[in-house]
Amino acid sequence: MLLPEFTYLSPGTLPEACSLLAQYGNEAAVLAGGTDLLVKMKERQLTPHYLIGLKNIDNLDFIKLDDNKRISIGAMTTLNTIAVSPIIRRKLTFLALTADNMANQQIRNMGTIGGNLCNAAPSADTAPPLIASGANAVLTSPHKTRTIALEEFFTAPGQTVRKADEVLGEIQIPVPPALWGGVYFKLSQRSKADIAAVGVAAAVTLSAEGKCTGCRIVLGAVAPTPLRAKRAEQFLLDKVITNDLIAETSHLAAEDARPISDVRSSAEYRQEMVAVLTRRALAGALEEARQHKDTSK
Amino acid sequence: MKQIVRLRVNGDVYEIAVAPRQTLLDTLRKGLGLTGTKKGCDKGNCGACTVLIDGKPVNSCLTLAIEAQDKEILTIEGMADGEQLHPIQSAFIEYGAIQCGFCTPGMILSAKALLDENPHPADHEIRKALEGNLCRCTGYKQIVEAIVAVARQKAGAK
Repeated sequence: MLLPEFTYLSPGTLPEACSLLAQYGNEAAVLAGGTDLLVKMKERQLTPHYLIGLKNIDNLDFIKLDDNKRISIGAMTTLNTIAVSPIIRRKLTFLALTADNMANQQIRNMGTIGGNLCNAAPSADTAPPLIASGANAVLTSPHKTRTIALEEFFTAPGQTVRKADEVLGEIQIPVPPALWGGVYFKLSQRSKADIAAVGVAAAVTLSAEGKCTGCRIVLGAVAPTPLRAKRAEQFLLDKVITNDLIAETSHLAAEDARPISDVRSSAEYRQEMVAVLTRRALAGALEEARQHKDTSK
Repeated sequence: MKQIVRLRVNGDVYEIAVAPRQTLLDTLRKGLGLTGTKKGCDKGNCGACTVLIDGKPVNSCLTLAIEAQDKEILTIEGMADGEQLHPIQSAFIEYGAIQCGFCTPGMILSAKALLDENPHPADHEIRKALEGNLCRCTGYKQIVEAIVAVARQKAGAK
């Protein structure tokens, strides 16, 4: 399959990339790792006349720990870099595991976190763990930069709040507190190599007495966008988490799911699996939180 | 509008005119005549097009040739040392890991990248490293055995 013809532009800085986007508007697309965009172009789903490649921009590929309070990940950081990063493995283990279990080695060496988020598939695997961690997206345009909560980033399948002249530059995640745990589970057709048919991320924060003081349950692939199951989250707050409560919470989460039937799975199966994965993810997150991992080290 | 790019493949430097839309895969095969790298699905699913760029396995069908400039590219043609096969190549032959041979170049390169980083991989680590290389002939068993054998050889040689 030949790619359609295009002009390749290679800005050296983020502001330059934004200016080019502003200049070419809908005729341009941003090229990160290429694992989604180039496939869509080969299939003629997308035929931008201009590709704005980000590979020559310095400092979009990084993972930083600021002051032990915030983790920053550059948008051009590949999935494998995230998977093996000592910072992510220690502070956000489930994000490293998620990245490590996406697609395959080749795609993980090419695909970027920024690309995964901006491609905005309802099933994007990095989204539920990031939203469950309270991540923010930093969007840069020619004249300003804005930060928005990642849970507000997605608007529809393939659509985000990113404006035509904006580039997603980095993701920022607060370092989780000590008594915190996060887990992401997905189901897909071929072990984990395939796109998620259902995904659930759960993160819980416990008080010293073992009460749930924070809870995020994020569903992937069962709605037009990644979705927080807020009623389920509310249900667990301020309670000491038991298996019965987890079971009840998981049913509440399943009620929030709005899955469709497609080649990967039926709506009914997806709905049911939201409950199963929520149960498992909550149990796992609780276990991790209870291990009193002091992530301030 | 074509532009001249400099590609470093298997230690050699090539200068070739490519259009922006030409993939590294097509450039290797048609531009440089290096047809060892195979075109399977041409969209990042099968891994037949796997090459190593700066030591990392990637799908050359989803890599623009112009973005591969000045990086170290290794293809299957770069594995043997003259007439001397690479141990991974010899093991693949010895263990029956090659039937039709179409997945083989990609498999061998993925195996090389794995062993370079993890000289004594467990079975599940080998299989995970090969998840992006599909084989329709062998059922993967002989491929994994060949890689285990190479790892043992290297261990034994110490």
